Amino acid sequence: MLILSRKVNECIVIDGRITVKIVRVEGEIVKLGIEAPLDVPVHRQEIYEEIQRNNREALTEGRPKVPRLPRLNGVPPTDAKKTE
Amino acid sequence: MKTVATSEPEWLTVRKENIIRMPLGLLGFESIKQYVLLTRPGEEPFLWLQMLDDPNHSFLVVSPFHVLVDYSPELSNDDVRFLALTAPEDAMILNIVTLRPDGQASVNLKGPIVVNRHTLTAKQVIPTNAAEYGLRHPISVTA
Repeated sequence: MLILSRKVNECIVIDGRITVKIVRVEGEIVKLGIEAPLDVPVHRQEIYEEIQRNNREALTEGRPKVPRLPRLNGVPPTDAKKTE
Repeated sequence: MKTVATSEPEWLTVRKENIIRMPLGLLGFESIKQYVLLTRPGEEPFLWLQMLDDPNHSFLVVSPFHVLVDYSPELSNDDVRFLALTAPEDAMILNIVTLRPDGQASVNLKGPIVVNRHTLTAKQVIPTNAAEYGLRHPISVTA
């Protein structure tokens, strides 16, 4: 892992197109400003871990009973698009 | 995209046209690359994304538009390329439902599964606007 030291308002440039700026340091919290092209997804690592955890919780064994959905505004309860 | 409605005795019937390939797997299930999308009469709009090699394990999924009419996840260009999507109509979106022991249910709107209807390749993506949506969006359930 590359480890760099930066001061507030200093930046790191990745691949010539992504800029990470140290905006503020407040105790244990570091605020980063990230400028990246729209096609570069930037997410907190936690979101991946949260989705992993949620997927594990959602895994079902066998065939539990499914809930019934109330009719939403303008959307019929069956999916008309699912068969063509 | 066709889904196959199976009655209980035919539940395990798997056909080529409803096998979904997920080259990266689902988050947390990276090694499982093939699923089959099944419906059961009376369970619409829910579908089952069942592990192809492990019919006892599946995920309940739903088209998000039954849950949130104006759901509009924005895909990154990388994901569009990965899935070889050429138009919005190429994509089918499915979101994973979590059933709670108390009978309540929630749907993950942060990490939708996007399926290319033509190639049946799919990926669980994190939309660029994921922050707008809930990981455990409650589904209002009628008895």
